[in-house]
Amino acid sequence: MSDTTQFRVMDFDCPTCAGTVERALSNVDGVQHVEVHYATGRVEVEHDDSIADSDTLAQTIENQGYTPQPA
Amino acid sequence: MDTQSLKQYYRKHRKAIIVVLSGLFYAGGWSIGYVPGPAFDTASTAILILAAVVGGYDIAKTAYHEVKSRTLGVKTLVTLAAIGAIGIGSYWEAAAVVFLFALGSYLEGRTMRKTRNALEELLEMTPDTATVRRDGEQKEVPAREVEKGEIVIVKPGEKIPVDGEVVDGESAVNQAPVTGESAPVHKADGDEVYAGTINQEGAIEIRTTGSGTDTTLQRIIQRVEEAQEAQSPTESLIDRFAKYYTPAIIVLSIGAYAVTQNAILSLTLLVIGCPGALVIGPPVSIVSAIGNAARNGVLMKGGEHLEQAGKIDLIAFDKTGTLTKGETAVADVEGFDIDDDGVLDLAAIAEMKSEHHLGDAILNAAQNRQTPATDGGTTVDRADHESPATETRSLPEPDDFEVVAGKGVVAHHDGREIVVGNRALLDERGIDLPDEVAEYVRGREERGETAIHVVLNGTVVGAIALHDELREAAPGVVRELQDAGIETVMLTGDNERVAAAVAEEIGIDDYRAELLPEDKQDVVTEYQANGHVVAMTGDGINDAPALATADVGIAMGAAGTDTAIETADIALMADDLERIPYAVKLSKATRWNVLENVGLALVVVTMLLAGVLTSYVTLALGMLVHEASVLAVIGNGMRLLRY
Repeated sequence: MSDTTQFRVMDFDCPTCAGTVERALSNVDGVQHVEVHYATGRVEVEHDDSIADSDTLAQTIENQGYTPQPA
Repeated sequence: MDTQSLKQYYRKHRKAIIVVLSGLFYAGGWSIGYVPGPAFDTASTAILILAAVVGGYDIAKTAYHEVKSRTLGVKTLVTLAAIGAIGIGSYWEAAAVVFLFALGSYLEGRTMRKTRNALEELLEMTPDTATVRRDGEQKEVPAREVEKGEIVIVKPGEKIPVDGEVVDGESAVNQAPVTGESAPVHKADGDEVYAGTINQEGAIEIRTTGSGTDTTLQRIIQRVEEAQEAQSPTESLIDRFAKYYTPAIIVLSIGAYAVTQNAILSLTLLVIGCPGALVIGPPVSIVSAIGNAARNGVLMKGGEHLEQAGKIDLIAFDKTGTLTKGETAVADVEGFDIDDDGVLDLAAIAEMKSEHHLGDAILNAAQNRQTPATDGGTTVDRADHESPATETRSLPEPDDFEVVAGKGVVAHHDGREIVVGNRALLDERGIDLPDEVAEYVRGREERGETAIHVVLNGTVVGAIALHDELREAAPGVVRELQDAGIETVMLTGDNERVAAAVAEEIGIDDYRAELLPEDKQDVVTEYQANGHVVAMTGDGINDAPALATADVGIAMGAAGTDTAIETADIALMADDLERIPYAVKLSKATRWNVLENVGLALVVVTMLLAGVLTSYVTLALGMLVHEASVLAVIGNGMRLLRY
């Protein structure tokens, strides 16, 4: 099963930070594909909801020091 | 303020609070350091370390995650520099670096948020609820739950919650959120309305064709986001560059330490080595420009197209519907052996089923003309599609008819053969053209009108002149583009004489006449082969191949047509020619803006590198200049939001 969850991160403060979040999300078990866009602050994650739910993903983003909002 | 709201306040403004605290500690520690006495020295050191810890906690936390996920980011470099500075006893430097970086990031995040919010304004245009008619009564429901086909009632002053078709009432609607046009558009029975637009005058009822995410505005916003996220060639180039640049700086920093044994020097290299301004500049410029364009009803399909549009030096316009209003109407009818009305009726019978726009205009004029026929010399009024005819005449259908592509029609009715067409069709069928008719046709064509011949049983009995009014804006738009150094060309299927007359009226640089639809693509290719960067403007449907071939395809009036949005690189939501100079100038401004940002970033980095290596630039100064350059390119890019 694959679900797609979108977040909006309005407080990215540098392009490399967006890259770090992308890397961190990719490392979460159950995540198949991640796209993080610095310019628009849009984060799109393809994941298996039974292994990694959207709360886990949000927590991962928060751990990197950013505030995810539901999109 | 109770603890609960205090906590909320802290959470909301955490980043700002941290910057302020860190700054206060930094200033305090620095000042105390000037007071003589060992106790004050110790206090100063402690407060400066506090400044670094308060300001650096979040940075270090992110750095930890960066290292854990094996990425080398700015925050890792800054953390390394701060720890290193403390390690060698440069407390002031450590505090300064952390404070300046935290301040810079805070300002950067804030300004980027503004850029990202440019689209939010559009999203907020759609109301949350809609009044629908269900089971005979009015009910307020969430707008996204309105089903297709349901009737929505919109009162004056309300925003329209769904896409749909007006079924009752009439009003003026402000479509600015979708098309960027500020003048309200009249809407009545059968007209399309868009979610997010504002109903200004009367109450209207709408049959829903789309709601929620399935609306024109939502589709536009989604496309704008895709466009903003697509990397332009400059951006990808810089990203590739940055990939090697950061590791190179680290190697350089280690090398510098090995040679000079100067820890501060190598730490300073690390800090200024973050490719901040360089990687941030181009995306900020492009996102700002695309956001600005979207709010003005211009959909730019991405940074690549924006950069390309900034380079165009020739714009080709499709004539019909682009430079003209695309509302062809009969301007004059002239009978030669029979009376004028007879000529018009004959032509209308032949054209009844042709579905050609000239045929439609003739049919329209014939059906709406005053009966009975008046004297032979009348001029038929320019038929207006919009004006409601009091009563239309019915005309007999032809027994058979045949379209001769690009030339006209041949039909039979009641034992008579009727041929309606251009000179080529007469030549093809060996029909003689009397001098007086040729004279009349030439006169009309010199006025920019299209004249066609009407032939009854092999004899030319009259001619009909058709006129497609120029858009009032056309000459001004052409002049504006010429002033911007862009060559303008008109492409048309009309014959040479008509094209020359229209071209002169508009003041366009050049024209290409007698083109079949497929020829337009070849003309574009030809201009490209001559070294031009070509933009092609059209409706995006009939001229889709030419639009696709051009370096930049510009479609007008694209709001309702997905095909046009699909084909074009730049889609003008409104049917408004005046958006073209705006779009072209914005693209040029964006291209310059990107170059300015890249240039500034390169100059700053080079100067810093030179400054560090010659020991003129200290750690704190390096950080200050680095952060200032980042904010400078963001500020420069954001100018495009207000272009």
